[in-house]
Amino acid sequence: MSQPSYLIVVDAAPYGSLACREALDVALALAAFDQSVTLLLRGAAVNGLAADQRPDAIEQKNLAKNLGAAGLYGVETILAIREDMQRYGIDPDATGVPVTLTGASQVDTMMNSFDRVLQFG
Amino acid sequence: MKFAILITGAPYSSQAPQTALSFCEAARKRGDDVIRVFLYGDGVHLANALSTPPSDEANWYRRWSAWIEQEDVEAIVCVASALRRGLIDEREAGRYEKAHFNVTAPWQIAGLGELVSAGNDADRLIHFGPA
Repeated sequence: MSQPSYLIVVDAAPYGSLACREALDVALALAAFDQSVTLLLRGAAVNGLAADQRPDAIEQKNLAKNLGAAGLYGVETILAIREDMQRYGIDPDATGVPVTLTGASQVDTMMNSFDRVLQFG
Repeated sequence: MKFAILITGAPYSSQAPQTALSFCEAARKRGDDVIRVFLYGDGVHLANALSTPPSDEANWYRRWSAWIEQEDVEAIVCVASALRRGLIDEREAGRYEKAHFNVTAPWQIAGLGELVSAGNDADRLIHFGPA
């Protein structure tokens, strides 16, 4: 198979573990090697899109900044589950990260459209 | 069928290394190929040569290392994941002026590019995560 498409699914709170950071690193590495890669944030991972994060208070780097730059590095789309965004009160227009919302019921069908799916968290 | 294996769960705190080894053994028995094993995140703990479980418990480091040598499979440990968790080979120990190292052959420390190329070269990339 040449040039498989990748979906990186993140399902962990942004600063509770390294899952989000390491998932994003995989997405960026794939993009750096010119692979087709989409990132999906679901569950508590949507908190990575919260506006005005101050993770420096817990000596962590700002994940939202890295998510915002993912497009520049070639990550094609950042998806987030609409219902999870609502549950955590994340306003998609306030994030500063270009994000596409998708419904929870569409996830299974969407996943099947990718050649490789890796889940973190 | 050519498989690439990604392990992100640590031994003893997750089932991932054991399930992955059973998968790999079954694949080889069927005549399928495993082209590369890539340890990432907490999965890097599997490559710790200093791991010393009680003698009546499974030694996943030894079991995995023996299988890798027997099947001559590439076994890669992600450098970024490894270094922040204290997994380090002789070369990196020299670079960071550490007195010791705990990653040795058949495991090799390398970058995420090795996961990308494995994902492209394999028919299937199978991910064994912590849960």
